[in-house]
Amino acid sequence: MTVTAAPVEKADVPVPTGHDMPRAVTALVFVRDRGIFVLWGLIIVAFSFWCAPYFATLDNALLIANAAALTAIFAAGVGFGVMTGVLDLSLPGTAAFAACVAGWLITNGQPIWLALVAGLACGVLVGLVNGLIALRGFNPIIVTIGTLSALSGLAAVIAGGYTFPGLTGLTFMGTDRYLGVPAPVYIVGLLFLVGTVFLTRTRDGIRLMAVGGNAEAVRRSGIHSDRYKVLGFVISGLCAALGGLVTAAITTEATPEASPSIIFNALTAVALAGVALTGGRGSLPRVLVGALILATIANGLTIRGIQPYWATVTTGVLLLASLLLERVVQTSVSNRLMASANLSVHKKQV
Amino acid sequence: MTSPALELSGIDMHYGYVGALAGIDFHVNPGEVVGLLGDNGAGKSTLLKVMSGAHRPSGGTIRVHGKEVQFHSPSDSADAGIQMVYQDLALVDPQDISTNLSIGREILRKGPLGWLGFVDRKAMRKRSEAELDRLGVRTAPMTRPVEMLSGGQRQVVALARGAIRVSGEANGVLLLDEPTAALGYEQTRQVEALIRRMAAQGVAIVLVTHNLPLCSEVADRVVVLNRGSKVADVAVADTEPDHIVGWITGARASQFA
Repeated sequence: MTVTAAPVEKADVPVPTGHDMPRAVTALVFVRDRGIFVLWGLIIVAFSFWCAPYFATLDNALLIANAAALTAIFAAGVGFGVMTGVLDLSLPGTAAFAACVAGWLITNGQPIWLALVAGLACGVLVGLVNGLIALRGFNPIIVTIGTLSALSGLAAVIAGGYTFPGLTGLTFMGTDRYLGVPAPVYIVGLLFLVGTVFLTRTRDGIRLMAVGGNAEAVRRSGIHSDRYKVLGFVISGLCAALGGLVTAAITTEATPEASPSIIFNALTAVALAGVALTGGRGSLPRVLVGALILATIANGLTIRGIQPYWATVTTGVLLLASLLLERVVQTSVSNRLMASANLSVHKKQV
Repeated sequence: MTSPALELSGIDMHYGYVGALAGIDFHVNPGEVVGLLGDNGAGKSTLLKVMSGAHRPSGGTIRVHGKEVQFHSPSDSADAGIQMVYQDLALVDPQDISTNLSIGREILRKGPLGWLGFVDRKAMRKRSEAELDRLGVRTAPMTRPVEMLSGGQRQVVALARGAIRVSGEANGVLLLDEPTAALGYEQTRQVEALIRRMAAQGVAIVLVTHNLPLCSEVADRVVVLNRGSKVADVAVADTEPDHIVGWITGARASQFA
C-alpha cells in the first residue's frame, strides 16, 4: 500500500517566548487577578489618612484581622465550593450543627479534643451527603437549602431548644491570644495557607479546580470527576464546621441558630474577590483579602464614628463596582486577543 | 502485511426495530487517514460511537491490532489505545496548556512532597513542550491559559491531547469528529498539517467530516455511508469529488451492491 502523504509543512512560525501577548492584555489580566490586592492597599492608605492616628496601628490591624476571621473561614468554604463548581448554601446549618454536636459532647463531660474532632467529622459527613445527593442530578442550590434547614432543625433538637452555654474549655481557640495575636487569626492563616498550597500545588487540588472549570474535560481524561465534585462539598462542609466551632469558641456558647448573614457575608467576600460563580477560577488569597476588605471598611468607618449601616452600603457598592470592572476587563481582553490572534495568523508582528 | 490498527467487520446496530448500521466492514491501518463521509443520518456518528465504545453494536466483531476486543464503555476503548476528539473540545479554559495536556497523567515531585501529591509543574511543562514539538505545533507558551488561545490553537491543543495519549509504544487510533468545523481557512490548513504529521508518526486516524475539500486534502482513503450501509471504500487518489458526492447523496450506485 502506498500512502500518499501531502508534504508535511515545517512549522514556519518561530517558537513563541511568552512575550507575544500585547502589553495591554498583560496589564488587564493583572488587574483581573491582582486588582483586589491593589484595592485593599488603596483602602488602607485612604483610611490611614482619613482616620489618623487611630487606624494605622498594629493593635487596630489585629482588630481587623480578628474581625475578618469568621467571615474568612466561611468564605473559604464558599470559595472552595464555587471554584469546584458547586454553591453550598448549607454552610450556616453545618456550622450550627457541628457547634451543637461539639457543645453537647463537652456539656456531657467528653474531652475537648473529641468534641472538636466530632464537630469537624459532622462537616465532612454533611459534605458527603450534600455531594452524593447533588450527584444524582439535583440542583445543588436546592439540595443545600434543604440540608440547611434540616441541619439547623437537627441542631435545635440536639440543643433541646436552648443553647450550650459556658463552653470555656474552647477559649484556647477563641479569645486567647498567642504572642499578642488572637487565636482565630492563626486558624485563618493556617487554613488559607494549607488550602492555597493544596489547590495550586497538588494533583488533587489541580484536578478539583479543573472539575470546576470543565467537568466533562476531566471525565474524558479518564478521571472520576464525580469524586472530585463530592470532595468539593466535603471541603466546603469542613470549613463550615470549623467556622461553627470557632464561633462557639469566641462566644463560649454553641447555638443552633443558623444565621443566613453568615452565607451572605461569605458570598460577598468571594464575589468581591472576583471568583466567578461559574467555577474553575479564583484563588484563596483573593478570597481572604475579600474578607479583610469587608472588615477594614467596617473598622475604618467605625473609627470615624459613622453609622455602621454605611459600611454595608459601601460594601454593596464595591461589590457592584467589582462586577462592572470584571465585565470591562473581560471584554477588552477578548477584543484585544481577537485582534492579536488575527495578526499572528498572518504572521505579522504584534 | 501487518494487521490494521482498528478493524470492524460485519457491524450491525439496531435501536429497537430501527436499523442504524447494517453489516459495516471498516478498517484503518497505522499511519493511515480514513475519511468517514455520509449525509446526516447515514450512520457516521453511530459508527464512530461504536469505535469509541460509547455504543455496543448489536452484531459484528471489533479487532484492535488483530486482537478481538469487546468495548463495554469509552474507557475500555481508551485502554485499547483509541482516543476520540469531540467537536466541543472539552478543554479546561482557566487552566494553562500544560495542565490541560497533563491532567490525568500528572508528574509528581520526587521525595516526600510527591507522596503528599505535590505535582512537578516544571517537569510537566517540559514534557508538554516536547510532546507539542514532536507534533510540530508549539503555538503558544505552555503557561498560557487555554481561554486566551485562538480557535485554531484550542483545536490544536485538543488534538494534541488525544494524539499524546494514543502515540505511546503501540500506535493507537485517533477518532476526530469534525475537527475543522469551527475554524477559518488558515487555521484549517494548520490542523490539516497536524493531522498529516500525526499520521506520519504512525497514528491511525478516522476523520468524520462534512468538509469534502478537507477530506481530499488529508485523507488517504474515504469510506462513504448511506442509510446505514457502506456504499464506497476507495483511495482518494482513485476517485474524484463528484463521485464522492454521488455516493453521499445516493445518486451513484453502491460499490458493493
